[in-house]
Amino acid sequence: MSVVFSKENLKLARKIQSLTGENVMLCYQCKKCTLGCPSAYTMKMKPHELMRAIQLGLEEEISWSGTLWICLSCETCNTRCPQDINILRVIDGFREMSKDMNYYNPQPFIPALHRIFMALVERFGKIYELGLALAINLRMLTPFKDIDMAYPMLSRGKLKLLPHKSRGAKELQQVMARIRKIEKG
Amino acid sequence: MRYAYFPGCSLSSSGIEFNLSFQCVSRALGIDLVEVRDWVCCGASSAHATSHLLSIALPVLNLSHAENDGFDRLIAPCLACMSRFKAANVELEHDPELREKIHEVFDYKYQGKVKVYHPLEVFLEMGLERIREKIRKKLKGLKVVCYYGCVLTRPPKVAQFDNVENPQSMDSIIRTLGAEAIDWSYKTECCGVSMTLTRSDIVLKLSNDILREAKEAGADAIVVCCPLCQANLDGRQRQIEEIYKTRYELPILYITQLMGLAFGAYPKEVGIQKLITSPREALGLIGLM
Repeated sequence: MSVVFSKENLKLARKIQSLTGENVMLCYQCKKCTLGCPSAYTMKMKPHELMRAIQLGLEEEISWSGTLWICLSCETCNTRCPQDINILRVIDGFREMSKDMNYYNPQPFIPALHRIFMALVERFGKIYELGLALAINLRMLTPFKDIDMAYPMLSRGKLKLLPHKSRGAKELQQVMARIRKIEKG
Repeated sequence: MRYAYFPGCSLSSSGIEFNLSFQCVSRALGIDLVEVRDWVCCGASSAHATSHLLSIALPVLNLSHAENDGFDRLIAPCLACMSRFKAANVELEHDPELREKIHEVFDYKYQGKVKVYHPLEVFLEMGLERIREKIRKKLKGLKVVCYYGCVLTRPPKVAQFDNVENPQSMDSIIRTLGAEAIDWSYKTECCGVSMTLTRSDIVLKLSNDILREAKEAGADAIVVCCPLCQANLDGRQRQIEEIYKTRYELPILYITQLMGLAFGAYPKEVGIQKLITSPREALGLIGLM
């Protein structure tokens, strides 16, 4: 693919910088991030390629690659980057921005999981593991996925059938409502 | 010493034995734990993927409760919680704009006075000598590898603990207990747990790599310090054995379970019966089962 480079291309990098404070233009493609990344083997666009794609403003290609969502947030890239770029923060910024982008995402279930996770936390103040697993399994149309794991966990009391509500749930709901208000502007 | 205790969601469900064993060890060492009042989920790996402000606000909500109740030290045994709490403190310290936004969200103005600890940090601060004093039964004959997981030491700016690529804290405790800590190169590799429900294929591969390396290193068990690593390596071990057509039968023990056993606790007191892969053989080596 050839990219004609102009000032226009810089917009994405600047947008990321204003959102996250991270300057991706510092990246000089040493590939330390990719070499240490545990999920790079299954990424179409590796972490160092993602950095270059942001420098070149290739918003749509980034979304199509699914890399944003395959990142496991293990912080290895951040730790090893010689330019001290917080790559996970860049990815998180992009994930946040992608809510308002209408590009194709090949990994739709991962952001769906985060949404369900936060919805359950908002409801109960804590995570409800069984509910989370059931909800995402239904969403992925694989209702019985990992069912073999459920019995050993249930029988040892490591998985609760019913959710448990935290006494702090109400305060948490207020906080989340305020954040939504602030973020809307 | 008195600490605010943040068990987090995992320690009341899949990581229940971490809770049992940590409390047992704390009693023995004189660590006084007071559960954070009305605590809520830290947001783990989902909050920061949806909203940065939210990912800071959830830890702050809990930290404010601790600060308000007069605590200046908080222990979070789950690495996901610990990492989110430490990140919130560090970011608030260095980013006045974020501080302002957070103050807008809360009525109580969090001052950033609560220092966050993982149990390992507290143990090492007390000193190996203190641990040695409490030992009633040396774990001689047991060979383990210590698996630290992603974020105990990463990124160093946030974690501010131990050697980032080759941590030693658990190894030193294991040696103090009399067991052998084998050196291996997978100490801080990621097990992939944040994708456990959505991309299990990644999780199975990464966890298989860890189990295989541990077996090849000659370990009888893997010792961990995070409920998510444990749930993954223990809970998915049968699936991994089936897919990769192999047999590991490696028990995944919490460091606090081994400490408790060495301090003379009964296996039940430290939740040994809660483990899915039976540690009978490994603990049999040291005459405990």
